[in-house]
Amino acid sequence: MRLPRLFRTTPFRLTLLFLALFAAAASAFLAYIYLATAGEATRRTDQNITREMRSLVAAYDRAGVDAVNQSLIERASSERPFLYLLMKPDGTRISGSIAESPLEDTNGAPSRASFSVTDYDAQGRLVKHPARGFQERLSGGEILFVGADVSEDQAYVVKIVRALWGAGALVIVLGLAGGLLVSRNVSRSMGALNDVVTAVRNGDFGARAQVRGTRDEFDELSEGINEMLDRLERSMAGHRHAGDAIAHDLRSPLTRLRARLETAYLDVEAGKGNAEEALAQALEDTDGVLKTFGAVLSIARLQAAGQAPDQVVFDPADLAADLAELYEPTCEDKGLEFDAELTKDLQVRGNREFLAQALANLLDNAVKYTPAGGAIMFRVRRRSSGEVEYSITDTGPGVPDEDRARVVERFVRLENSRSEPGSGLGLSLVAAVAEAHGGRLELSEGPGKVGEIGPGLRVALILPRAA
Amino acid sequence: MRILIVEDDLEAAEVMDRGLTEAGHECVRAADGEDGLAAARGGEFDVMIVDRMMPRMDGITMIQTIRREGDQTPVLFLSALGEITDRVDGLKAGGDDYLVKPYAFAELIARVEALSRRRETGSVQTMLRVGELEMDLIGRAVHRQGKEIDLQPREFQLLEFMMRHAGQSVTRTMLLEKVWEYHFDPQTNVIDVHISRLRSKIDKGFDKPMLQTVRGAGYRLEP
Repeated sequence: MRLPRLFRTTPFRLTLLFLALFAAAASAFLAYIYLATAGEATRRTDQNITREMRSLVAAYDRAGVDAVNQSLIERASSERPFLYLLMKPDGTRISGSIAESPLEDTNGAPSRASFSVTDYDAQGRLVKHPARGFQERLSGGEILFVGADVSEDQAYVVKIVRALWGAGALVIVLGLAGGLLVSRNVSRSMGALNDVVTAVRNGDFGARAQVRGTRDEFDELSEGINEMLDRLERSMAGHRHAGDAIAHDLRSPLTRLRARLETAYLDVEAGKGNAEEALAQALEDTDGVLKTFGAVLSIARLQAAGQAPDQVVFDPADLAADLAELYEPTCEDKGLEFDAELTKDLQVRGNREFLAQALANLLDNAVKYTPAGGAIMFRVRRRSSGEVEYSITDTGPGVPDEDRARVVERFVRLENSRSEPGSGLGLSLVAAVAEAHGGRLELSEGPGKVGEIGPGLRVALILPRAA
Repeated sequence: MRILIVEDDLEAAEVMDRGLTEAGHECVRAADGEDGLAAARGGEFDVMIVDRMMPRMDGITMIQTIRREGDQTPVLFLSALGEITDRVDGLKAGGDDYLVKPYAFAELIARVEALSRRRETGSVQTMLRVGELEMDLIGRAVHRQGKEIDLQPREFQLLEFMMRHAGQSVTRTMLLEKVWEYHFDPQTNVIDVHISRLRSKIDKGFDKPMLQTVRGAGYRLEP
């Protein structure tokens, strides 16, 4: 099962393709080498035979047939690699190392040919050797044949060709093995990625691809996939959390509403209560539930999206001035001193509507929790880090150090705030808005305790420098 | 007023119909976008209330169609989709106002009546008059019984809105949306405080209070 699958992999197919290309190229190369070497060997043999022939003809021309005969006998018995045959004009043998000419008489014209000679090897066996020879009629009418055994040359060529074939075969075998190895490696990497994809498809969002640290494209792909899965998982978790939160968050106010309606119904039935009052109360409660629902939904959507929609670059002081103008009369009405210190000409990037709502929530809180005679300071400034900070400082009771992280959570309302109206979602929404802008929410102590007043709370919404 | 209600939730449509009829309006109902389109083409209406998501043809498509055909009847979109982008989509399609479900009936009726007024005041005005109150839109001056009233820019805008909708109930949400251009509900009574400041400027020292609080709805400027 494992092997056929390997054969189907892309790297293996590529290996095969390259091997086929290589084999074709190697064959062409071999053919060329063969032709070149074999041709060269024949040419060299022919040259040698011609030289030998010239030397004999020269001897003949100088000293006649007997001298040639003499020379021939000497030469034949020496180590020279030639075959000789001297014949009378009618073709009968005079002397030489072979019995008869392998060539037909061509009426004296010089001729050349390949043929084979029979010989006995060291063990006395009859062997045939390939040979080449020239035949020429001498000026006196005698026929001279000079040949050469080319078996050694040919054996050499054959050896070369065999070596080449061997090398080719070796390359193919090694290539195949290497290809298999590489494919197995690649397909193992791909297989690992495939396993991750399959796992995720089957619902395991925790599956991650292994990064081997080789910094190759597989690592890059694995990292990309992991990053994507991280994002996806966060988003899924956000959605799941949002769903849970909405279910949880709505259950309690709805339970309260139901209980009130039920009590009112029983009271009215018993002729005790006032139906009108009960209905008015129920309507108010319903509005409360809807408000909670809206806030929970906003938070959930922001958290799920990870980023606030429709962001634009604007001057944070403009938005702050608008809100200051909206809240200033309310503060004055409640006997609070309201001051705004807004640094102009900064830039932030964000969704004005969400930021306005977040700041309105903070101002609402400040107004709600600061007793008459207190003060609220609204500031916009640039931090040395380049971040833009909206801050609202009040002289209310503040939030104890140990509760500061907690108040941002949903539905957390501190003891002394339970009597005030509110859903417990205000700061959660501000935190969600801050996060959706790549910023954060910071809570710290206000100006400090003076007599019965304070220590106050300073809430800062910090946004990153507009890119 | 003749009002076309295009809403696939029949119970919601029934409640709207009854409420608006009680308020003295004449209602025609359609249960989906195609019926709504046919009704809109067939009759003259002062305002259309159109649900955004309906079977057969959604509200956006319906309004885009009638707008293309040149029908400029004011449209109030109703929608369960309350995000800013949804609102923008609705207004881009040719809606004049956008109300997120669920809503208080007082809010619906206030918005419907505000829309009907919008068409009448289509031409450019330089002077607004409501009873003893006069607003010079170019000179940015307000007088009551000839006596100049000094207003902050936002108070001026607030009063202008109230004067343009004189005699109608205007909700806090409407004021926040139309005057301040915010689409959220502040927890504190910020709008009430602005209104009471405005009231002290235009009503203080005069016999008849003009800026009145409408219980369960909002405010109304009476001539």
